[in-house]
Amino acid sequence: MDCTEARNHLLDSQRGALTGEIHARVDSHLAECEACRREDAVERELSAVLRDRLPRTRAPEALRRSIEKRLMGEPPRASGRFRHTRVSLFASAVFAAAAAFAILLWKPHGSDAMLAEAVNDHLRVLYSDHPVEVESGGIHQVKPWFTGRLDFAPVVAFGGDNDFPMQGGAVAYFLDRKAATFIFKRRLHVITLFVFRAEGLPWSALATHPVGGARGTLETSRGFHVLMWKKGDLGYALVSDVDPTDLQLLAAKVEGGA
Amino acid sequence: MRAAPHLTLVAAADAGGANVRYPEAVSKETATLPRAALDHLDALYRVARNLTGRDSEAEDLVQETYTRAIAGGAQFTTGTNLRAWLFRILRNAHIDAYRRARTNPVHGGLDDELAADTTTTTSEPLRGDAELERLRGVVTTDIEAALASLSVDARAIVLLDMEGFTETELAETLGCAVGTVKSRLARARGILRERLRDYGS
Repeated sequence: MDCTEARNHLLDSQRGALTGEIHARVDSHLAECEACRREDAVERELSAVLRDRLPRTRAPEALRRSIEKRLMGEPPRASGRFRHTRVSLFASAVFAAAAAFAILLWKPHGSDAMLAEAVNDHLRVLYSDHPVEVESGGIHQVKPWFTGRLDFAPVVAFGGDNDFPMQGGAVAYFLDRKAATFIFKRRLHVITLFVFRAEGLPWSALATHPVGGARGTLETSRGFHVLMWKKGDLGYALVSDVDPTDLQLLAAKVEGGA
Repeated sequence: MRAAPHLTLVAAADAGGANVRYPEAVSKETATLPRAALDHLDALYRVARNLTGRDSEAEDLVQETYTRAIAGGAQFTTGTNLRAWLFRILRNAHIDAYRRARTNPVHGGLDDELAADTTTTTSEPLRGDAELERLRGVVTTDIEAALASLSVDARAIVLLDMEGFTETELAETLGCAVGTVKSRLARARGILRERLRDYGS
């Protein structure tokens, strides 16, 4: 078997889809050909990257419910914008005007986007096979790891304790910017802390929950509580399905108040 | 409000695309879509996210896919491959949407892209270890960006392959001959590797 033929069978071989004689011939070629062994290793790694580092996102619950209903024979939900173009254009214009007006007042849509993003990012952590890029041996190990990976230094005063052990950190994206991600545990629950540049984000003006010296918003979306606050140049989002009081407790620690 | 590329509902007859492989003479009993169609929702959504690059557009695309599937339920024959049929609708809906939107930077199909691509997948031996090292350092944003730079069909074949599609299912979904699937997949992965060298650096 030559290299071209062997490489043709590499993926099948890696997936155990080869049988008998061909399998043996591929194996014996790999045993004697270093270049093909490298190619085999690279292809395996590419599969691992695609499998483990792309988020294993699940469809949002609302989408699932909507489609479930439609499969049962109910009419589609009011997504008329795809079908009635004229109505949709007019409605879009009205909606856009209303939204623009609302944004001028207190930007509810923008902060909704932040809420949705926080929950999505948390889900990515939950469903990722490798949520943690740097294992935690404490904050003094995690924070230096971010140096060179971010264009800011995340200010986090808390490195985990028995109540909230820190699992580690990773770099993620929050909307259009990079975020330092810290992963904590609360009993069996995962809590994700995102720290990112606060500038230019549509922060809600309705921040009422005290977080250390700052004030934040506590909202719930798709079963997850999200506590978001801003301190200096940095924005913080804590996301989890734990009780909101636990989030506030952890926020206070992150802010160095406990 | 974001200027979303508008998906357009096509007639049910076109639900499966130009090369519908499914018999049209189907009794009324089989005209409804089996509930098993819901089993593929997560995979459809995942692939839609990587095709569109946005959560909201992925939701729209999946909604549109089920709209077409339900409307074209008569074309689905019990016993044939539901998964391949649904993903074929998803792919067609996505192509329709972005043909209209013209926002996607990649216009060509896999073959166009391959013609323009001068690199080969058989990397020189010396580069092997370096490439492996770089792949090991790839993070989520790198692989997402590299995938986004591929043509729709290249992205689709790589993602569907990772969803466990067989060669027959890939051929049905992408509307190509079974015999060409292996080489298409190899070429798409090859281009992805090239792109990852750029993004991962």
